[in-house]
Amino acid sequence: MREFAARLMAHEAAAARSADPGVSAAFAVPDRMRTQIATLAGNGGHRALLMRTLALAGSEVSWLKNSRVGADGHLKGPNLSVVPVDPDEVTKGGIELVAQLIGLLVAFIGERLTLQLVREVWPKLPAKDLNFNI
Amino acid sequence: MKKQNAAAKRNASKANASESAKVAIRQLPTGVRGLDEILGGGIPEFSFNIIAGTPGCGKTTLAHQLVFANATPQKPALYFTVLGEPAMKMLRYQQQFSFFDEAKLGKAIRFFNLAEVLVEQDLDAVLAEIVEQVTSVSPGIVVVDSFRTVMRNATNTASEAELQVFIQRLAQFLTSWEATTFLVGEYAESEIKDNPLFTIADGLLWLWQVTERNSVVRKMQVMKLRGQASVPGLHTIRIGDNGLQAFPRTLGLMGKKTTSGRRRRLSTGIPELDTMMGGGILEGDSLIVAGPSGTGKSALATQFIAEGLRQGESAIMALFEERPQGYTDRASGFGLDLKKPQATGKLEVLYLRPLDLSVDEAMQAILDAIERTGARRLVIDSLMGFEMALAPGFRTDFRESLYRMIAALTGAGVTILSTVEVEDSFTAMPLSHYAISFLTDDIIRMRYVEIDGQIRKVMVVMKMRGGNHSKDIREYVITDEGVVIIGPRETDYTGLTTGIPTRVGKREDPAPETKATK
Repeated sequence: MREFAARLMAHEAAAARSADPGVSAAFAVPDRMRTQIATLAGNGGHRALLMRTLALAGSEVSWLKNSRVGADGHLKGPNLSVVPVDPDEVTKGGIELVAQLIGLLVAFIGERLTLQLVREVWPKLPAKDLNFNI
Repeated sequence: MKKQNAAAKRNASKANASESAKVAIRQLPTGVRGLDEILGGGIPEFSFNIIAGTPGCGKTTLAHQLVFANATPQKPALYFTVLGEPAMKMLRYQQQFSFFDEAKLGKAIRFFNLAEVLVEQDLDAVLAEIVEQVTSVSPGIVVVDSFRTVMRNATNTASEAELQVFIQRLAQFLTSWEATTFLVGEYAESEIKDNPLFTIADGLLWLWQVTERNSVVRKMQVMKLRGQASVPGLHTIRIGDNGLQAFPRTLGLMGKKTTSGRRRRLSTGIPELDTMMGGGILEGDSLIVAGPSGTGKSALATQFIAEGLRQGESAIMALFEERPQGYTDRASGFGLDLKKPQATGKLEVLYLRPLDLSVDEAMQAILDAIERTGARRLVIDSLMGFEMALAPGFRTDFRESLYRMIAALTGAGVTILSTVEVEDSFTAMPLSHYAISFLTDDIIRMRYVEIDGQIRKVMVVMKMRGGNHSKDIREYVITDEGVVIIGPRETDYTGLTTGIPTRVGKREDPAPETKATK
């Protein structure tokens, strides 16, 4: 799932033409999925899902423990200028976050519907990348 | 004459005009087996409907089946979820059903959550949101699940008049946009009188979960459906892998009668019994074989089926007591092979023992098997087992249901042999516990009698609606060939039907099965 998450992050970074290695890049994928997830789960459901994602990912990557879900459903990370985090750790946190979020979606609605949702968000994602097992 | 012709022409053209002016209402399939028949063809297009009932009776599943059966990318379905069950939760559970087609999600079926608008704003905002979504998507189907939640939430802030106006405006808007609407809600029957929603609705489908003793059965009623004749009354529904399935009360009665003209006589597989019956069972008859346990009713039934198979006919055995393996093994002991015809599809053995069965479900299973195999012979073994398999609520109506079922099956040209277990009384010879002889054409009664220190078996043809039959009480044995009727007795007895006969002639006949001598 982490490989899949990394591909999504790379695709999103390329689509956004962003080379930002910071927290906003790590949160870009969950943010992009917000509308689709909120459609399925409601805004409250989306927020709850992100909170669970953060809790799961935070146990793997410590800087995520200082992140939270805002009332608007966006993820808010720590201020890296105040609490410095190694850039690799930031990327690792982003991947963990996406992997946990996708994992939760798969647990709730199954692989096929999750892939369908991903395709809706990133219609240009190559078909070969839409695979959890590579 | 000319005047008359002119008048006739005028009337004819008037008739044509009124015919062409009559609106043709297209009917949408529900995607629920049996429900279109109950509705009188399907759901009227552009109608405004309520799916009501208590929690857990299948309302959302029904709504999903309707949506999946009708939604297309050109005419999508818009599914508004409210508080309680968001789309994600619905999708999680609904994808377990066979009707679920994930390819339809997104383009043909779109979900929209109204929860925030409802919580944070008022009914006007809810209506505005629905209007915006419907206007942008132009859906063929609109579902609001649960509409009850919308109304319950609004009652805190809106007056009754405002609620009525909201419902009225919603109905007008959705119908004007050519959408067929389903408002799903948990309502109690007591609300029907006072709730304006039920007055405005074109269709009202009510679903129940009925509890009786330990059994729970689901039922459905079409309480209201404008513009077409639906089948009245309560219909059994069951939720299975395919979603909801409905069993119309008219099941089987709508089919064509195929028994007409001269009917063949079918052999029972026991030549002496055929002779006793005046040549065999008339095709399309219902025969009841009644007798106490161990008298060979199932053996006789097996021989009847095997004979049909021998003659190239397909057959069905609906078993309610003994498991199919036991049945097949016993047949094998009589030299009758039931395995091969099952493998080739000539014979289907239905073991119908789900929890809380209804007669309609059993009939549907049998009708489906008839459709698959083209069966001409059917064994129901036994009626008592059948009754025991039914939910308690259905047992009350067993006789009527059985009558309907037998009429439907024999009407389709199937010859039925049903077994009934009766206790032997030593003063009388009852036919069955249920007084069901009115629903059968032919009756064979088996019983035990005590003769010369042995419990022996006798049978008699009590009734043959289609012709004359032997009145003899004949002794029989069950051997490795099945039921074998032995020759007419030389010794006369009286009182055989009491079970303790008296010999009135010389002892001429040897015991059919060896008596112990030591």
